[in-house]
Amino acid sequence: MTITTSIPRKTQDEPSPNLESILMLASGAALAGLGIWRRGWTGAALAGGGACLLYGAATGFRRPYQGRVRVAVTIVKDSEEIYSFLSNPGNWAPFLHAIELENRGAGRLSLRFGNPPGIDFESQIEITDHKPADYVAWASDHAMLSHRGVMRFKKAPGDRGTEVSVALEYNAPAGPVAHALAALVGWHPEQVVRESLRHLKQLLEAGEIPTTEGQPVGARGVKGAALRVLHREPPREAIPAPLRATGD
Amino acid sequence: MKALCWQGKNRVRIEQVDDPRIINDRDAIVRVTRTAICGSDLHLFDGYIPTMEPGDILGHEFMGEVVEVGPEVRKLKRGDRVVMPFTIACGQCYYCKNDLWSACDNTNPNAWMMEKMYGFSGSALFGYSHMMGGYAGGQAQFARVPFADVGPIKVPEGLPDDQVLFLSDIFPTGFMAAENCDIKPGQVVAVWGCGPVGQFAIRSAFLLGAERVIAIDRYAERLKMARAGGAEIINYQEVDDLVEELKWVTGGRGPDAVIDAVGLEAHGTGIMAFYDYSRQRMKVSFDRPMVLRQAIQACAKGGVVSIPGVYGGILDKLPFGSAFGKGLIFKMGQTHVHRYRQTLMEKIQAGAIDPSFVITHRLSLDDAPEAYFTFRDKQDQCIKVVLDPWQEARAA
Repeated sequence: MTITTSIPRKTQDEPSPNLESILMLASGAALAGLGIWRRGWTGAALAGGGACLLYGAATGFRRPYQGRVRVAVTIVKDSEEIYSFLSNPGNWAPFLHAIELENRGAGRLSLRFGNPPGIDFESQIEITDHKPADYVAWASDHAMLSHRGVMRFKKAPGDRGTEVSVALEYNAPAGPVAHALAALVGWHPEQVVRESLRHLKQLLEAGEIPTTEGQPVGARGVKGAALRVLHREPPREAIPAPLRATGD
Repeated sequence: MKALCWQGKNRVRIEQVDDPRIINDRDAIVRVTRTAICGSDLHLFDGYIPTMEPGDILGHEFMGEVVEVGPEVRKLKRGDRVVMPFTIACGQCYYCKNDLWSACDNTNPNAWMMEKMYGFSGSALFGYSHMMGGYAGGQAQFARVPFADVGPIKVPEGLPDDQVLFLSDIFPTGFMAAENCDIKPGQVVAVWGCGPVGQFAIRSAFLLGAERVIAIDRYAERLKMARAGGAEIINYQEVDDLVEELKWVTGGRGPDAVIDAVGLEAHGTGIMAFYDYSRQRMKVSFDRPMVLRQAIQACAKGGVVSIPGVYGGILDKLPFGSAFGKGLIFKMGQTHVHRYRQTLMEKIQAGAIDPSFVITHRLSLDDAPEAYFTFRDKQDQCIKVVLDPWQEARAA
């Protein structure tokens, strides 16, 4: 099976937020300012680093980022069951991580990225090839994330179920800095695929996606909130509507 | 409700927090009737386990009464008395179905963190860092129990809390440590660390047919308890060279199996202990693998190194040449608690063992912050603390 798609190369740039330049500008200015404020050799080094970043931003230095994602999970279900679950667009929302997919019919999907909202955008995806319970291939052309990918279903050895894999190639206008930042909050394409597949497996095998959102906690303080961001958890736990009277 | 919250290194306190609620359909809420402080809680208390957040509720040894069940819970109902395994398992994945419950694929919401550190994620644990799932623990008046049909062990009529509480962790952990030794008749097992897990490992080794068990520690009360369990004892501070001493008492063969029931915060004497402390102090390493080095060195040829003690990171100066040269077998890992539930409950019912022997302190939850110090610093001959979350604080 080959991925039968040809993404037309872009002839002109759509206006897109040049996140990397903005970041470089901001961090460059911050570093340079800190350096000047601190003085001494450390200050000079910081200011120098800041100046480099500022120069990079000012000259519009940016590198389009090409990436590849390969994630495989084994799910203890047969491929027909997994495929039929995935064929129902109503099942998508719970397991997708950081993206929303909507079925537009006739082999077209719309992908919304950015949850929680920030750099959100919407793009069209075209199913380019598929064979039930075997594979689905798709492609998308969008300034923020042009990509093509394939999801395969292969019988796992023994009684282990089905190996479900996603391979993806993408081009993103934002450079390595933006990629690192995206990775920090779990929006990197690799994380989107990995966490979505993990949730799919959890849902199909265990019947639910495990969570701690809404459980009791003590005082988090500033440090706790900061750590939660680092751990890719919402800074404040959501408090669900009470299901029962609180005991005392 | 009241809960014991982690606030940083050496800082835990009782806080008023919201009562837990059913979040997923397979959850249950239990009213905690007994909980305990585990030796591994001390690693959190001492700040050696990464990915803790201030405000986390601790506790992974607890039992109680079911007060509410989610719509998908079939086997539990209100009023059931249950003990929770400290590992949370889904019961449906390949690992659960193959009796490797602590390797469960599906219960850790933060699996990515563990994958980053360890390559793969195991099951989630109660109250044991966000890398291990970030679930609120059981040192509280109520607790939420996910996958309630899979984990909780129903307690038969007539067994008091103190006898069954340790099915949550330390008894199966000690038992698995001994089972991992693959004990054959006539064999000698050496156990490093006579804390609660060590005590259960000693007794389990005898239950599984060990001829002799040699217990190693430095605290008189712990050694005394080990001796009461049938072990021969060595105070490592009173011998020149522990490895030589073990050879001496085993006819030059060394113990056929060795159990490291100490883990990453080993004490010790001499230059290597100083080296470990320095590395840990400088945050180069999470672990002080003093005991593991000794155990590998002391183990008989072709023997088994069984490791119930917790390790967190990358270990330094392990005598791997010795392990290779002697053809040792290594067995370790978080306990597959679910695997041992039935066997051990039957042993308790039959009177083969009464796990409450290990309890030295019975306190209220309000006393817990102080009890962490007492237990950690081995004051007041403390070996095991159990807490009643509903009892008023001890009069000061």
